[in-house]
Amino acid sequence: MPEDPYSLIERWMKARSFLVIGKSVTRADAIEKILGRAKYVEDFLDGALFAKMVLSTEPHARILGIDDSAALRIKGVRRVITARDVPGINEVGYALPDQPLLADKKVRYIGDTVALVVADDFEAALRGAEEVDVKYEPLPHILDPLEAMERTDVLIHEENGSNIAFRTKVRKGDVEEGFSKADVVVENEYRTHRQDHIYLETEAALAVPGLDGRLTVITAAQHPHLAQKIVAKVLGVNWSDIKIIVPYLGGGFGGKDDEGPLVAAKAALAAYLTGKPVFLEYTREESILVHPKRESTIIKYKSGATNDGKLVAAEITIIHDTGAYANRGPFILWRATVHATGPYKVPNVKVDGYAVYTNKVPQGSYRGFGNPSAQFAAESQMDLLAEKLGMDPVEFRLKNLLRPGDDTATGQVLEDSVGIAEALEKLAKVADWKRKRETYGKDTGRFRRGIGVAVAWHGISTSRGVPDWSNAYLKVERDGSVTVHTGIVEIGQGSPNSSHRQIVAEVLGIPPEKVKVVYGTTDAPDTGATHASRGTTVGAIGPFIAAAKVRERLERLASELLHAPVEQIEFVNGIIKVRGTDKQITWEKLIDEAYKRGVEVSATGYFFLPKGKFDDEKGRGFAYPAYSFIAMIAEVEVDTWTGVTRVTRVWPALAAGKIINPQQVEGQIEGAVAQGMGYVLMEQFVFDERGRILNPNLTDYVIPTALDMPQVMKPVYVEDLFKYSPFGAKGVGEMALIPAPAAIANAVAHALGIRFTQLPLTPERILLTLRGEK
Amino acid sequence: MKVRFKLNGKWVEVDAKPNEILLDTLRLKLGARSVKRGCETAECGACTVLLDGKPVYSCTILTPMVEGREVITVDYLAETGEIQPLMEAFAEHGAVQCGFCTPGFILTAYAFLKQNPRPSEWEVRKAVEGNLCRCTGYQKIIEAILDAAERMRKSNGNK
Amino acid sequence: MYYLLPDFRFVKPETLREAFRELETEGAAPIAGGTDLVIDMKVGRRKPDKLVYIAHLPELNGIRDAGDSIVIGAVTKLQSIVDSELLRKHAPVLPEAVNEMASWQIRNIATIGGNLGNASPAADTAPPLYVLNAKVVIKGLGTERVMPVREFFVGPKKNALRKGELIQAIIVPKVAGEGVGMSYVKIGRRQAFTLSIVSVATLVKVEGNEIVDARVALNAVAPTPVRAPHVEEALKGSKATAEVVMKAAEEVLKDISPISDVRASKEYRRLLSVALTRESLLTSLRRAGVKVEV
Repeated sequence: MPEDPYSLIERWMKARSFLVIGKSVTRADAIEKILGRAKYVEDFLDGALFAKMVLSTEPHARILGIDDSAALRIKGVRRVITARDVPGINEVGYALPDQPLLADKKVRYIGDTVALVVADDFEAALRGAEEVDVKYEPLPHILDPLEAMERTDVLIHEENGSNIAFRTKVRKGDVEEGFSKADVVVENEYRTHRQDHIYLETEAALAVPGLDGRLTVITAAQHPHLAQKIVAKVLGVNWSDIKIIVPYLGGGFGGKDDEGPLVAAKAALAAYLTGKPVFLEYTREESILVHPKRESTIIKYKSGATNDGKLVAAEITIIHDTGAYANRGPFILWRATVHATGPYKVPNVKVDGYAVYTNKVPQGSYRGFGNPSAQFAAESQMDLLAEKLGMDPVEFRLKNLLRPGDDTATGQVLEDSVGIAEALEKLAKVADWKRKRETYGKDTGRFRRGIGVAVAWHGISTSRGVPDWSNAYLKVERDGSVTVHTGIVEIGQGSPNSSHRQIVAEVLGIPPEKVKVVYGTTDAPDTGATHASRGTTVGAIGPFIAAAKVRERLERLASELLHAPVEQIEFVNGIIKVRGTDKQITWEKLIDEAYKRGVEVSATGYFFLPKGKFDDEKGRGFAYPAYSFIAMIAEVEVDTWTGVTRVTRVWPALAAGKIINPQQVEGQIEGAVAQGMGYVLMEQFVFDERGRILNPNLTDYVIPTALDMPQVMKPVYVEDLFKYSPFGAKGVGEMALIPAPAAIANAVAHALGIRFTQLPLTPERILLTLRGEK
Repeated sequence: MKVRFKLNGKWVEVDAKPNEILLDTLRLKLGARSVKRGCETAECGACTVLLDGKPVYSCTILTPMVEGREVITVDYLAETGEIQPLMEAFAEHGAVQCGFCTPGFILTAYAFLKQNPRPSEWEVRKAVEGNLCRCTGYQKIIEAILDAAERMRKSNGNK
Repeated sequence: MYYLLPDFRFVKPETLREAFRELETEGAAPIAGGTDLVIDMKVGRRKPDKLVYIAHLPELNGIRDAGDSIVIGAVTKLQSIVDSELLRKHAPVLPEAVNEMASWQIRNIATIGGNLGNASPAADTAPPLYVLNAKVVIKGLGTERVMPVREFFVGPKKNALRKGELIQAIIVPKVAGEGVGMSYVKIGRRQAFTLSIVSVATLVKVEGNEIVDARVALNAVAPTPVRAPHVEEALKGSKATAEVVMKAAEEVLKDISPISDVRASKEYRRLLSVALTRESLLTSLRRAGVKVEV
């Protein structure tokens, strides 16, 4: 069948050499950003009303009344908007219908949005917000998830009947039988903490009513069509009445995936009710108080192995503190549950997951999405088992890693694209693992070196049977330049400005400079969210297929024009030639002929990712179409006088299919290592007894500076191609963060001979533990 | 109150409130949107501008304080071509991801290389300690600045 | 856009005398670099009615050689202190410490007078100025008084200035020389651009094998920065060895009273105080020409 997406994908997978794929082509938006000309949401501000949020000061309370009279007396204040003003449906929960946009009868965390003050300028908005008087009837609050699980006398969501928001499970074999066969068993409880995205640009939205008959919202979001859905729902209008534009984002990391639609809806609500453009931007403090964080977990992990180094069983309980609202909780929990064993063959598996409500800031999407904590537990266990067996940690892992043909913890057979074992083997050599593992870890002076390894896997695309697809629209203009429309967003990761552009350029055989990708708009087909590392793997399938279709048509046309069989036609850098002859035609001339002869040079590229079935009840089945894999070796030096740990070098190895742009991939790895290292060594929230965040600023929530960074070595790549993506690429964006907590913790354990099962490993925790004060 | 200062090579006069911060004056009144707002509490570096040639945080400077002084943003350096080596290096090394921190880094790096044309890697990292980046992990930014230093030395004939 | 600053008048006096007159008004406050004050105003900690700009006043500016001391004008920028050849030669612990403060962007506008006036218990200029036995020159309208920097810190965020007074200058004795070693160590929650959890400055004078003078100062471990007299006593007259240092440093626990706050616990601060005192003393001894190994 002509233009069948599967055969198009397969054809290009077999290409032997590439023009631009695999090359470090400079991204399209680099110069613009360097010159400060790239526009982010606030840069579009030009005469709009200002909105300011009024946030809850109570962790759990009934709202008795909201008195806006004093606020309305402030000069310049136009309106105070509360839940009762919402014209549509005041319900924006992502997975469960448990979250109002504006708090209605109750507030459930300090940071819950209660009202919006709309004013002529920001001073009036700030003054007005100070004057809004909310009367609360405090209710008992719960901060500890274990306590929340037990109690039914205090319910954070009464309708739910309990504080357990969601449950997941995976079952394979019989763990009791498995453990009976084990020669060594390790059982521990691991605790991981919340993390803030700290994108340099905070959340922002500019809502403009009446632009071309729609309400347009320029917003910092990661899925334009989700923002469209939420805004339309809150306003009670058709989706097609709402247009979303996502310009450049100053970082996303998942946070703007969750909060973006909500900021858009708040601004849109104010614009809709006032009939005027409204601008809303979270201050840094509001951003930290309000938007969902990386999940905080308690993971009880029991695993066992036989003396020959084979894993036999894993029994795991995962508890996610989901905070005040479920948000993405169920999906984050599913991902953690499915990945909890690590990328290993484990014949007997029992995993139970719980997402539990507490009166704290909700959890949400953050690079890794439940997996960093799961792999922290899994990979700590692997080191502990290896230690009991007297085996080298890399050797032990190699004995158990998944290989093509193996089945996962959920019983899914991975036929191909499983390059992790090869990646780990190569990495261990490159990092000189054996020698360092023997020599480090013996230091007795003030500074102690350690080296640690961790591997991770990360299913690409959405989990289980949740539908995923790609879509794009491509057209070749009459002058030969190409425009591609995609819903994928530019959060900085570069997919639209690098991989999409390169893929289209490769397929059409033209220089990348001729390709323009228009992204982040609801006027493009819904391409799914820019998350889950799918921007290239899945997001780029649309442009790829559209380009491949046009390529086939143009090949046939060229064959006609040049009187040569299609198989001999080559498209190279804008010249179409017949192999072995000097017959050729330029791309521009070919396009001109196409227009003259009625060959359509525009196409949509739609691809529905084939998925299997997963049985939620049984906890078995197809979890993900493919997995990216990563191995990481981290070298640390711990100062035993101060507890300060420095990560000196990190070696990454990726089995993520075809690497489309090595430089961009390195950038993702280096950035993810920074975030992973920050998470483990210095980032943490301090809560008071009411669940209020005491450090909502960048002085006291510390992220790495240029002087904190390790040297990130050049990655090892194993290009284990995935059969349903352009050129076989798999996801990369999240990968290097996922094993980082485990690799660093394993290295510290090697350096000090002390196993830390609780994060973060701040200098304080390390020193107090070393001195026996903890 | 009227405040008169030199912005990007031209004298400007703005009517600013005494409590107006320079960041707001630049972005909201003078159209200098290349200067970014990240935290407004002098903790991130996105709002960096050059004040009499030295990088400072415009979010914590009251506009009246710059009376008679010179402020430069990245737009001006682009015009004069002075950041050409930095621009090329940043683009070629993949030092730009979301780009929000980039103008701040360019200004800090530019001012730094002017006074230290032969820096060590540590000196570069120390110079940009006050510019946070959440996307890149800094590695390619540092490589780009070192590379730009070399390009500038070559074009100045290794002076 | 994120914060509402109070409505204040902004005045730029042309002379120091004029500045004093402006400062006589109730609710008037001086401003130079503003890096502490502007943030304090943003978060509502301070609400002045009038700001008196003083960063340009010549009487408050400059670093000059005054024979046996160096006089630093109050509105001298922190970066100028880092770059000062004079200070690097004669009192290197001060530029060493200031170089670890905040970031280059802050040091390009923040002033030493502002850091002292702010009187935070974690002021990073304090430990070096304490071990240098530096003094502050305080001026008012027609008044002048001089006091040791250590007496200038009265309590957390409380300095010894009276209404209408300004810091004019800081006098730093020239102490570097044969047998003198000084150093500064700071630990924060990351490697740069961060507040001190604890920082320590030390200065030792060695003659032959003996420590004849020892000065130790810490910040962030008490309501004000402190000297550590118990450590100093344990060192003076003792042999210049690592063992002596390791033991003497433990005495620092008697000189500090740290609290637990959002940044660190008091237990950690206690452990750090001992560790950093040891480290700084060892480095100072090495710089004084003594070979010490731990």
